[in-house]
Amino acid sequence: MKRPLIAMVIAALGAAPVAAPVAAQTQGNLVIQVPTEPPGLDMTTNPSSAIAAVVFDNVQEGLIKIDRTGKMVPWLAERWYTTDSRNYTFFLRKGVRFSNGRELKAADVKFALDRAMNPETKHPYRVQYDVIQDVIVKDDYTVTVTLKRVDATFLYTTARQGSVIYPREAVDSLKSQPVGTGPFTVAEWVRGDRIVLVKNKDYWVKGLPKLDRVVFRFIPDPNSTLAALKSGDIDASVFGIGPESVDELKKDARFQVIVGDTTNDVTLSMNNSKKPYSDKRVRLAITHAINKDEVLKGAMFGYGKILGSNVDPTNPYFVDVSKRVSYDPVKAKKLLAEAGYPNGFDAVFKVAPQYYYTVRSAEIVASQLAKVGIRATIQQIEWGQWLSQVFCLAPCQNPDYDMSIIGHAEAWDIGNFANPKYYFRWDSSDFQKLFQESQVTVDDKKRRELYVKMQEMLADEAPAVWLYMHPRLAITKKGVSGLWKDQPAPVLDLSEVAWQK
Amino acid sequence: MAALAATLFFVSLLVFVVVRVLPGDPALIILGLEASPESLARVRQGLGLDRPVPVQYAKWVGQALRGDLGRSIQYDLPVASLILSRLAVTLPLTLLAAGFMVAAAIPLGVFAATHHRRWGDYLTMTLSQLGVAVPGFWAGLLLILLFSVQLGWVQAGGFDGWGQGVWPGLRSLLLPAVALGLFQFAVLARTTRSAVLEVLREEYVKTARAKGLAERLVLFRHALRNALIPIVTVAGVQLGQLLAGSIILESVFYLPGLGRLTLAAISARDLPVVQGVVLFVASMIVTVNAAVDILYGLLDPRIRYG
Repeated sequence: MKRPLIAMVIAALGAAPVAAPVAAQTQGNLVIQVPTEPPGLDMTTNPSSAIAAVVFDNVQEGLIKIDRTGKMVPWLAERWYTTDSRNYTFFLRKGVRFSNGRELKAADVKFALDRAMNPETKHPYRVQYDVIQDVIVKDDYTVTVTLKRVDATFLYTTARQGSVIYPREAVDSLKSQPVGTGPFTVAEWVRGDRIVLVKNKDYWVKGLPKLDRVVFRFIPDPNSTLAALKSGDIDASVFGIGPESVDELKKDARFQVIVGDTTNDVTLSMNNSKKPYSDKRVRLAITHAINKDEVLKGAMFGYGKILGSNVDPTNPYFVDVSKRVSYDPVKAKKLLAEAGYPNGFDAVFKVAPQYYYTVRSAEIVASQLAKVGIRATIQQIEWGQWLSQVFCLAPCQNPDYDMSIIGHAEAWDIGNFANPKYYFRWDSSDFQKLFQESQVTVDDKKRRELYVKMQEMLADEAPAVWLYMHPRLAITKKGVSGLWKDQPAPVLDLSEVAWQK
Repeated sequence: MAALAATLFFVSLLVFVVVRVLPGDPALIILGLEASPESLARVRQGLGLDRPVPVQYAKWVGQALRGDLGRSIQYDLPVASLILSRLAVTLPLTLLAAGFMVAAAIPLGVFAATHHRRWGDYLTMTLSQLGVAVPGFWAGLLLILLFSVQLGWVQAGGFDGWGQGVWPGLRSLLLPAVALGLFQFAVLARTTRSAVLEVLREEYVKTARAKGLAERLVLFRHALRNALIPIVTVAGVQLGQLLAGSIILESVFYLPGLGRLTLAAISARDLPVVQGVVLFVASMIVTVNAAVDILYGLLDPRIRYG
């Protein structure tokens, strides 16, 4: 009851806007809210999205960049070629300087990739680099990467946050003072309060960045974020405002609201290794019983998009398969009876309230399931417990849950369903074969066909229920331009952001 | 002193054990979800988590006694220096809240007692009833809406640091201090009222009045001084509660204080920080309680400690 009441009072008091004397807004300066303080600033040892939000593409960049439409574009490598999909030769852009003044050379690329492959250096996604056989420096601006086998995701790997290029000599300060080739440099980190980035005057892209200074303020609470926006303490919030405040902010002439797509698929997971969820008919019955439109309306105030599989609309291979198993409670009851549960069964949702949408969605889904006889109760557990009980991190052997809800924010994560050890515990050799084939299929058209097949198969087999794509809700003061609309990668690229005159 | 040391020993043991039975492995949280078993073992070894728990405890206490609380896993900084830097926010915040609490509660409590069963009493009690009923975070939001969003007098949150002088620092702590102190103010006002009321019924007050002493003297020299014992007891306990309450208000006002440090450390399983902060705060509270005991002696010469 607390939240809606607060929201109501904020709405009532916020109705009459006043000029704020302590405004953050000055030309060239942007104060942006982020909910979590990054645990260090090293993307090569920690996968936290809070680090990427500050550092990725702002301070450090990769050979290839994911642009605002989700496309891979040449970045520190101005081009590359391969004839056999086993040897990739990258040609580096000349004259690109790190913020410490030294020019980027091929040896830096070799150093960064070698370090990522090295098991001694805690890289969070080391497995992605396992495919690399060798990194060979041809000359100062040419580097060849040889692969052990064909890997269709290799180029994407070089565009990921863990593949940013940094100068060898600055490797020890990555955690607190990351050096890179990006449009900004880290000027100040006041622990617990803010991180300040300033313009890299020698940035290799002419005319960028447009801002002189960016302040990331750590504000964990959505209501405090709203108040900070309204009082003028901050200029923008990208991850901090919930959907319940969006309609009100849309009506407010001081702000602009940007609603976009993300790679965050809010997924109802089922323990496929456990009865009755091991029965496909039960999983389909659960899918038929859920009215996703209603869930989206109730939990997200209608913001976001309905999903039918693990692939979200930012993915170039996305197809809409959400109609394949439509909302149909009558059919759900029939399937339950066929599976031997004419009177339904009892189930427990384990959700972590740290992510507000999990509890809200579970409440609505539970009431919908009740209509077909599935008696679901909701158990809220702390995030650490969720990770060990549901997600089954080591030393957990078998996940201990019936159903759960969580957002899967990784892009290109369909492989999770090809991993029988993943917490869904779905073991389908047909799907695993399809996925393996897609991993070694470099031809774009053929690969797309495989991805369409995988999406259709996921929808029909229902190892999980994909509820909706979590929207990107960015709120800024009027006059802020250049922010990305969608979130195709875990980036908060501020290089093109500016105040309009 | 022996009781003090025993309390601290018990606290240190409790903290150490509780932190270790929490689900969630710090090595996993450091390395992320796709870490290999070998690298996990290496990190656990680096953190000393592979050694027997009593050995870990002995090492920790031994270092803590020398002022070394270990290193933060998350920030890679000494825990002691982290605590000190965050204390620059939390200590002034707590003291400011305590100052507001005492400065408002004692006069109002005395006022209510002297106007017993009259409008002043009812007004004060209504006010304090409100203070008890309104949770701190909610009061904080209301204050932000009024003073920052509507009037624009102070910022909605954050802390500018003491670098730019005392006033900018104080200004960012004013609203959170009021929000933090509100509940405790209400409790203390009620305590003061009943303590003073009780004393006013004593024989010696009658005697003082019969002597023809001015009512002001009766009130302050005889009544209030004797009523102070329960008031100080409650206020001492409240100081500890203020310190604990700052966790929530530091989140509402996004202040970089001890409370938020702790909260973040718990979710990141930054064990050295959690242990260090809890031990530190417990020591502070134990010290405050000891100071209250000494204060008793000053207030009432009959109380002596052997």
